[in-house]
Amino acid sequence: MIAFIEVNKTYPNGTAALQNINLTIEQGEFVAVIGLSGAGKSTLIRCINRMHDITSGKLIVDDVDVSKLKGAHIRKFRRRIGMIFQSFNLVTRATVLSNVLVSFVPELPMWRKWTGMFTKQHKIQALEALDKVGILDKAFMRVDQLSGGQQQRVALARTLAQNPDIILADEPIASLDPVTSRIVMDDFKRINKELNISVIMNIHHVEIALEYADRIIGIRKGEVVFDGATSKVTQAILQDIYGGKWEAEQAAIEEQASYVG
Amino acid sequence: MWDKLFPPKPIALANGKVVLQKRSRVPLIVLILIVCTVASARFTGFSFQVLWKRMHEFFTLFRAMIPPDWGSLADIWQPLLDTIKMSLLGSMIGALLALPVAVAASANIVQSRAIVAVSKTVLSLLRTLPTLVSALIATFVFGLGPMAGTVAIMLFTIAYVGKLLYEQIENVDMGAFEAMESIGMTRIEAFRFAIIPQVLPGYISTSLYCFEGNVRYAAILGYVGAGGIGLLINEGLGWRDYPAVGMIILVLIVTVTIIESVSEHFRRKLI
Amino acid sequence: MNHIEKQLSAAPRQQFYIATIAGIIAVLFIWSFTAVNFNDIEQSGLKIARNIVYGLTHPDTALLFNVTKQSVLYLLVETVAIAFLGTVVGAVLAVPLAFLAASNVVPKPVAWITRLLLIAIRTIPALVYGLIFIRVTGPGPFAGVLTVGLTSIGMLAKLYMDAIEELDTRVLESMKSIGCTTFEKIRFGIVPQLLSVFLSVMIYRFDMNMREASILGLVGAGGIGAPLIFAMRSYKWDQVGSILIGLVVLILIIEFVSGKLRSKLVKG
Repeated sequence: MIAFIEVNKTYPNGTAALQNINLTIEQGEFVAVIGLSGAGKSTLIRCINRMHDITSGKLIVDDVDVSKLKGAHIRKFRRRIGMIFQSFNLVTRATVLSNVLVSFVPELPMWRKWTGMFTKQHKIQALEALDKVGILDKAFMRVDQLSGGQQQRVALARTLAQNPDIILADEPIASLDPVTSRIVMDDFKRINKELNISVIMNIHHVEIALEYADRIIGIRKGEVVFDGATSKVTQAILQDIYGGKWEAEQAAIEEQASYVG
Repeated sequence: MWDKLFPPKPIALANGKVVLQKRSRVPLIVLILIVCTVASARFTGFSFQVLWKRMHEFFTLFRAMIPPDWGSLADIWQPLLDTIKMSLLGSMIGALLALPVAVAASANIVQSRAIVAVSKTVLSLLRTLPTLVSALIATFVFGLGPMAGTVAIMLFTIAYVGKLLYEQIENVDMGAFEAMESIGMTRIEAFRFAIIPQVLPGYISTSLYCFEGNVRYAAILGYVGAGGIGLLINEGLGWRDYPAVGMIILVLIVTVTIIESVSEHFRRKLI
Repeated sequence: MNHIEKQLSAAPRQQFYIATIAGIIAVLFIWSFTAVNFNDIEQSGLKIARNIVYGLTHPDTALLFNVTKQSVLYLLVETVAIAFLGTVVGAVLAVPLAFLAASNVVPKPVAWITRLLLIAIRTIPALVYGLIFIRVTGPGPFAGVLTVGLTSIGMLAKLYMDAIEELDTRVLESMKSIGCTTFEKIRFGIVPQLLSVFLSVMIYRFDMNMREASILGLVGAGGIGAPLIFAMRSYKWDQVGSILIGLVVLILIIEFVSGKLRSKLVKG
């Protein structure tokens, strides 16, 4: 369970990124966070695994007060939370398998860390993770030889190998074409349902968000303006979240989609 | 500023449109080049007369080296091996030491600006110093012999590999680094698994290339007493034993060519 | 599970290759250590190192700034002059050689022989040329100029050659269709394409030649090298300090300026 209690986040330059956030997310939920670019979606997600610090308030993840963690405890805490990025953030020169194996690094003894030699057990676990996202046959290819959708699935496998309770996804399909987007979203949905992993996702494509997520959180200028089941989202609510720029935003997304497609 | 001193020339077309043509800078560049050349020629005492009268001497000297004195090969062997050892050891240690220095000079890895600035300054100062000069200084500190040469080559390698490496590290895609941190790695671990795989091929290739150059440098370091084959060249020319010098040069060309082609083979594989 | 283990066993085996390379490197490393004798280090070494540091921090300012022929300033100008003129000589001599080595200009065997010659010129260390030229012109900066010129040829001709081989020949075709003569084709079709590349390469080489010129003094071919070695042999560390500081500053300035000029040339 993730709980935001009166959370505020102000950047050093004075921008208030998050204001009075109060949220509770139960284990196993599929939550989509929507809103304009710069509304604070990314900041919200990155506070959960302490990639960003919060300025005030309390953020509790499974009885752990996140803002009180320090050094090694932060890293140990992050082990339970997977993260997926818009630009995949893989080591493109390395093979698919070694990108997934990276998940096990913090558990390794020192000499294995520096030599980069992994145990057979870990290799099998990594291959299993690749199998779950359906790219087992690509295991020994270099990442830069794969398509965008396949790369995002490598990133997903890397996260699965971590065996997380929560997956945070920051615009996971923004660099993908519409068809691949759906394949990746199907993977997310399956992982969410079969493994009961919570998924919290920033997403630009509202239609896809409505189609896949159980719950929508709308953010405008650092504040939560909507929080509820997907079925309750109406055109009026979307207008509110996007501050009247709903049509413009939608057109921009469609243009981008047609460009990519 | 140029445009103010020499305003662009207007050209009127038949239909009344006016196009501004910028004055060419070529005459100015040519003028500067000519002035510098003439001044340098006077300064250095360059004279075509001397060149015309004495140039044949150069070719006579070279002709005297042919055929090379195969008998001197036995004496060349040891200094040649010393030269290769010096450049090997200097390059290896230098390339290893370049790693931490380059990391310290990378603004995207080290957060302290002071450390980055100091490391960058040290690297560029080291690079400025010609190898022969640092070898000369090293002979005073470490005594005559290959040790001084090795130190000089090591210093140059640190500077050269270090500079190219930190430029590479700074241009690396930081996304993977962020992902590693989100997995729960320390910054050092993230560097090991996100940055090193990206820069490793470039680093090895740079080190190999540096080693190729170092073999050439090492060959002359003996001249200041820093070990290797350079001393023999100086002695040979001093005693006017030109066939022996010819042999040394031949051996050098063969050695350098072999080392270059081996290293080039491996550098190609790295891309 | 079965298909996963099958995939694991399909992993490409590189361990042997990596182990072999690592073994060779380790052997080379140990072998090269045999050249270095640590007993060579003299007790006085540390003292001298301290003296050098002292000299660098307390340079002989009089030597640095006065305007006689022995001053650092004068010698630095001489070094720049050697490097500059040497670059010009090398650049001029490299042009015909570059055309003779370009496989799209001359027949293959000619290009091949010229390239071999260039490699031979490049491999002989500058100091050897310096020692030989001193026999030709007598000691002094003139010998330095010739040395720098000859050593520059190898690299300059190689880079010129690359530019020539990458020439855009479509321009020549269109000029031929207009009815240009061979001379006109060279003047307006080829020269503009090559000039900026050649200049850029020249500036780069000038930067390198500064370093060459500063060491040639060691063999008596003019420039700052000779006073440096004299000052060291006579243990005048304050003079060594002022010479080194002058040299380093000059090289840094030239590196900066040549970098600026080259980026300007590239941008046009």
